[in-house]
Amino acid sequence: MSSKEKKTPSSTSPCAQLRAAYHDCFNRWYSEKFMKGQWDKDECANHWQKYRDCLSQHLEDKHLRRFLEAESGQIDGAATGRNIRE
Amino acid sequence: MVKVLTQEHAYKHPWERVTSAFWRKFTDPENKQILTHILEVDTLNRTIDPESGKLYTMRAITIHARGPWFIRKLLGQDICHCIETVIVDARSQSMQLTSHNISFQRFVEVDERIFYNPHPGNPREWTCCRQETSINIKPLAALASIKDKVEQQLVEKTLQNSAKGRDVMERICRYLEADSSRISI
Repeated sequence: MSSKEKKTPSSTSPCAQLRAAYHDCFNRWYSEKFMKGQWDKDECANHWQKYRDCLSQHLEDKHLRRFLEAESGQIDGAATGRNIRE
Repeated sequence: MVKVLTQEHAYKHPWERVTSAFWRKFTDPENKQILTHILEVDTLNRTIDPESGKLYTMRAITIHARGPWFIRKLLGQDICHCIETVIVDARSQSMQLTSHNISFQRFVEVDERIFYNPHPGNPREWTCCRQETSINIKPLAALASIKDKVEQQLVEKTLQNSAKGRDVMERICRYLEADSSRISI
């Protein structure tokens, strides 16, 4: 079981603004580029890096931290079933 | 004994628009008032396979696990972390999502799989969403007397939250449709 956690409303999450900026960039890229077959250019790399750096510093839950470092192969594996036990 | 719920819904919108709406469901701030059970959504990882063009995403979804007093007493906290993985294949027009709880696994495992594909009846303009939720309450002595109540709670919550999610998705689809009409004029 994870240790005691404070309920943190998203508006006070320390990464909320960087997260919003990244998600906005991704949503635009997804509709305007990815859906049209254009996936060779990573247009949100800058936003992603800043957001990830913030998450690396502030993500408290140790189970979630493990996933922060996962490679795409692990994402695919995780998609087929649960593989992390508390 | 695992309880399985299956839900299907047809969006009268093309697959590209529905999957775009999916990504906005948790990120657009105006949806927070409806999806009150969602506390935080963070993207933990995202990659594209350059050969296949498949988009892999992993997200952490933090949920407010509301329930009656005996459930809160048992669990000790009301925050539940879930991990969601999403695979989008733009070439074959498929989106597949799986999520499961990583909190409270000692007591219950809720696994969800959702598929978004062009609707077989109208593949260019409609999208079929199929959702399978399995609820497995562990055979613990502490749960024995309340197992049925807990299962019922989880079934009700699943159905309620799915309905709210669909309403939000429909609204976003209508907005995106109107937006695309404006741009083309």
